[in-house]
Amino acid sequence: MEQSTKVYFCCSSNKRSGSTTTARLLIDYLLSRGRGAVGFDTDPHDPDFARRFPGAVKVVDTTKIHGQIDMFDRLLVHDETPKVVDVHHRCYDSYFATIGQIGFMEEAQRAMVQPVALFHVDAGPDSLNAANALAKRWPNLRLVVVRNKGAAPRGPDARDILDRFPHAERLLIGAVDWPTWKAFDAQDFSMPDVLKAPPANLSMGALISLRAWVTPIFRQFQLFEMGLSLENSQFL
Amino acid sequence: MKPTVILVGADKGGVGKTTVARAVADYLIGKNIALRAFDTESPRGTLKRFHGDITETVDIGSTADQMRILDTLNTAQVTVSLVDTRAGSLAQTLRVLRDIGFLDAVHEGQFNFILMHVLGASIASLEEIAETAPFVANGHYFLVKNYVNETTFFEWDPETYMSYFAKSRSADEISIPKLSEMAYEQVDIAGTPFSTFVANKTADGRPAAHSFVLRGYVRTWQRKIADEFDRIGLIELVTEPPNRS
Repeated sequence: MEQSTKVYFCCSSNKRSGSTTTARLLIDYLLSRGRGAVGFDTDPHDPDFARRFPGAVKVVDTTKIHGQIDMFDRLLVHDETPKVVDVHHRCYDSYFATIGQIGFMEEAQRAMVQPVALFHVDAGPDSLNAANALAKRWPNLRLVVVRNKGAAPRGPDARDILDRFPHAERLLIGAVDWPTWKAFDAQDFSMPDVLKAPPANLSMGALISLRAWVTPIFRQFQLFEMGLSLENSQFL
Repeated sequence: MKPTVILVGADKGGVGKTTVARAVADYLIGKNIALRAFDTESPRGTLKRFHGDITETVDIGSTADQMRILDTLNTAQVTVSLVDTRAGSLAQTLRVLRDIGFLDAVHEGQFNFILMHVLGASIASLEEIAETAPFVANGHYFLVKNYVNETTFFEWDPETYMSYFAKSRSADEISIPKLSEMAYEQVDIAGTPFSTFVANKTADGRPAAHSFVLRGYVRTWQRKIADEFDRIGLIELVTEPPNRS
């Protein structure tokens, strides 16, 4: 069976949940595998995601019709190129409201496009409410609950909090120490380039730490993709 | 079925009267109701541009054209006739229908008459309701609030609102939601019925390349209008069986 084109919504109803980090890592993963990827940054005021991937990630203002057309029309093209959308928390509600208004999910099904919501959790009740609302509104939407240990939720109640979220797949973005984060967060940092040919100004310790941090994350991405491919496989 | 005349009119221009007529046409065609339409914006009508295959352009003031519409109600194979009146000529059109005896025929049960009175967002427009209602005493009178721009129809002022809308006890209300200007303009450029635009087709049935986002907005807008027409039972009104004599 023909494979669908994946569209990943990296989203959170609250800020500082790590959704942009996931969006970056996902594009890094796809590029490090030699595959194309197209991204959209929905924060026109501070497009950090787009700045890091010039040429691959486009800035869109989804509060405007032009921005919606630029993005959603492109997302529905079945070209087997994965799309990654960093849904800024400020436009979370309006973004999914627009998706409902234009019938995106129904059209995606017709167009062989598979949306996946990478929902980033935090400890607040509105995060749980938002996840539940998303799951209820679109029961067929592939929902993945993402926990960024360096962002939220933290503390001894973290597992209890996570357990309350909709029964869905889980993705864990591990915590990272400050020097490693600083290296990752540099404006000119490129994970595929670092993994292929580490720059001379990157210390061995930082390189080892980066690999240790990103390897399990990329493995989860890989397993998730494999799972989706197997589900769509004709011979199972 | 009893022949039905649906008159879409307004005594002000720019209230979206032809948009409403187009929405009615799309809805009825989508429900497989055979329809013919008359565009009274003679000589060049907007309704005809979008529904050319079912629309004739007429001059409601012309006796010959009055005969074309009304003398054929019982003989035409299509029993539902949609008349899009020229802007500012609703009162004149109703007087013509009265003077030629059509309203009497409605009273006698020979025809169904549905008036969709598209309101403007002004006191003057609301004052037309009381003037119009007597003409539709034996028909079905709908006050259409077409939410173009940021019109509120005085809903923010309950006293004013109730003084006009509460008085029209014989009339039901239909709300037409606002459609994104860009989506509307794209349909205008395409020159097709709303449904054809949503289906991503050109006027001659070939695949088009319209934006999915804009088609989505038009589709949602149409659904909301269909909900309103379902609510008022428009299909039941136009498919009413003839009176048994």
